[in-house]
Amino acid sequence: MQIYINNLSFAYGIKSIINNLSITLNQGDYLVVKGKNGTGKTTFIKCLLGVNEVKPGTIFFDKTDITNFNSWTKFGYVSQSFDNFNYEFPITVSELLSVSSTKQTTASDRLKLLDKMKIFDIQNQNINSLSGGQLQRVFIVRAMLNKPKVLILDEPTASIDKQNKEFFYQTVEDLNKEGITIILITHSDEIEHLNYTHILTMFDDYTNSFDIRNKGGNE
Amino acid sequence: MFLSFITDLFQQDFMLRALTAGVMLGILAPLLGSIVVVRRLSFIADTLGHFSLVGISVSLFLSSLGFSYFFEKPLYLGIAFSVIGGLLIEFFRRSYTNYKEISMVIVISLGAALSAIFFALASKTGSLYQYLFGSILTVTNYYIYLILVTLGIVSLLFIFFGKQIVAVSFDETSAKFLGINVSIFQLIFMIMLSVVVSVLLEAAGVLLISSMMIIPVAAGMRIGWSFRSTTIISIVFSELSVLVGLWLAYSLTIPSGAAIVSINIIILLVVALTKKIINARRISKIDKNQIK
Ligand SMILES: Nc1ncnc2c1ncn2[C@@H]1O[C@H](COP(=O)(O)OP(=O)(O)OP(=O)(O)O)[C@@H](O)[C@H]1O
Ligand SMILES: [Mg+2]
Repeated sequence: MQIYINNLSFAYGIKSIINNLSITLNQGDYLVVKGKNGTGKTTFIKCLLGVNEVKPGTIFFDKTDITNFNSWTKFGYVSQSFDNFNYEFPITVSELLSVSSTKQTTASDRLKLLDKMKIFDIQNQNINSLSGGQLQRVFIVRAMLNKPKVLILDEPTASIDKQNKEFFYQTVEDLNKEGITIILITHSDEIEHLNYTHILTMFDDYTNSFDIRNKGGNE
Repeated sequence: MFLSFITDLFQQDFMLRALTAGVMLGILAPLLGSIVVVRRLSFIADTLGHFSLVGISVSLFLSSLGFSYFFEKPLYLGIAFSVIGGLLIEFFRRSYTNYKEISMVIVISLGAALSAIFFALASKTGSLYQYLFGSILTVTNYYIYLILVTLGIVSLLFIFFGKQIVAVSFDETSAKFLGINVSIFQLIFMIMLSVVVSVLLEAAGVLLISSMMIIPVAAGMRIGWSFRSTTIISIVFSELSVLVGLWLAYSLTIPSGAAIVSINIIILLVVALTKKIINARRISKIDKNQIK
């Protein structure tokens, strides 16, 4: 799926966050978004996912305007905070993954992913008894579950330890090699080892400026 | 006392009706209750109940104007108004996204005020008491069919869309990526809930509806180890309180809704206490092992 962003601007009320951002991502590209806290990385993602409403004519998926787009199952998404998730009620990891599966996703697909993310052993544990890092990996599995064409990860490694981080980035890279488009938000100190194709740096100044480069360094 | 209850149960029509109604409501209430609890809307049943009451008071008002049909079947307007209440909650919820409770306070106040006004305007208020506290011992055959239809529809929805219902309830934001239309889901759920609340109103009364929906679930959550087990345990607790509650209501001639809810609370307390004792034992065992 091609993602075409054309002069995207976004503001919360009168507070402008994104100003005339344009970028095209083809299927299989790997975009890293970096920038300091509060520069608008999450805001950008929320525009892309239709959570923040944008003007028609600014975002297209395979030539379909985002305002008419409805194939959201093509996206896998791990959000930065899991505040939207209702934890207190008992539900096990495998129950959550099972209700989060579309018809095409089988139980063996789920087990493979659990194994891949090294959380096979906790599948019968309650979500509310998991550690932060385990939880994050469960949500990563959920995002990959239905074989998305585009995987969007908003600081997915924030509570994952170093060892599992390297391993996680390896998994992301493998998925990218399989042709999945990756959009990854992360902090600058982690990006050196990543095999991305595009990088978007957000700056926090009055012009809401940004910088897009391909891996080679030139625009 | 218990024996005569059993014989009466099968000899007296009204007892059999009460039992049938109770058993079906015993499934419906905690089934929807668990979803309501997951979505952190525990207060919603009360709110919808108050709006259902508006429908009933309007029915009584209309019948005092000469439309006698409404006096016999006040539940239809009860259901209609409950749905309106549900839509109002959704409407206000959009303006106070992070404060869902506010929307419910607005709607519950409106419901209480309108009910009071229409009850006052109606010349014959019938048994207002019954709508406040309910009575499962006086239900009619017509009511039994109404519950049966409701139970049928809700069961079908859960059989075909159970996965989606659970997925959206736990995480509305991510549901979109499973191809679920969240607004349509919310609408259908709100309508389903409104109907169930109105149906419960007759048996439990406006003041006890949410107890029947929420308390068995609160007890089930304490010991459930998964979503499925929690829901099943809640239904078992709910049925237990319906059966024991009916028996108590019949033998001691106390209001049935109150009896059922009291048993629910007792179960909750027993569960909480047992769990505490078991945990304390476990901890002392661990301590002993560490000393060794
Ligand atoms: N719902 C909102 N309403 C108003 N302002 C918001 C909202 N969400 C974010 N903002 C503001 O928009 C700016 C960008 O926020 P955003 O969450 O996109 O930053 P970020 O780059 O993801 O930061 P972080 O690295 O901390 O995750 C911040 O100044 C924030 O205060
Ligand atoms: Mg962010």
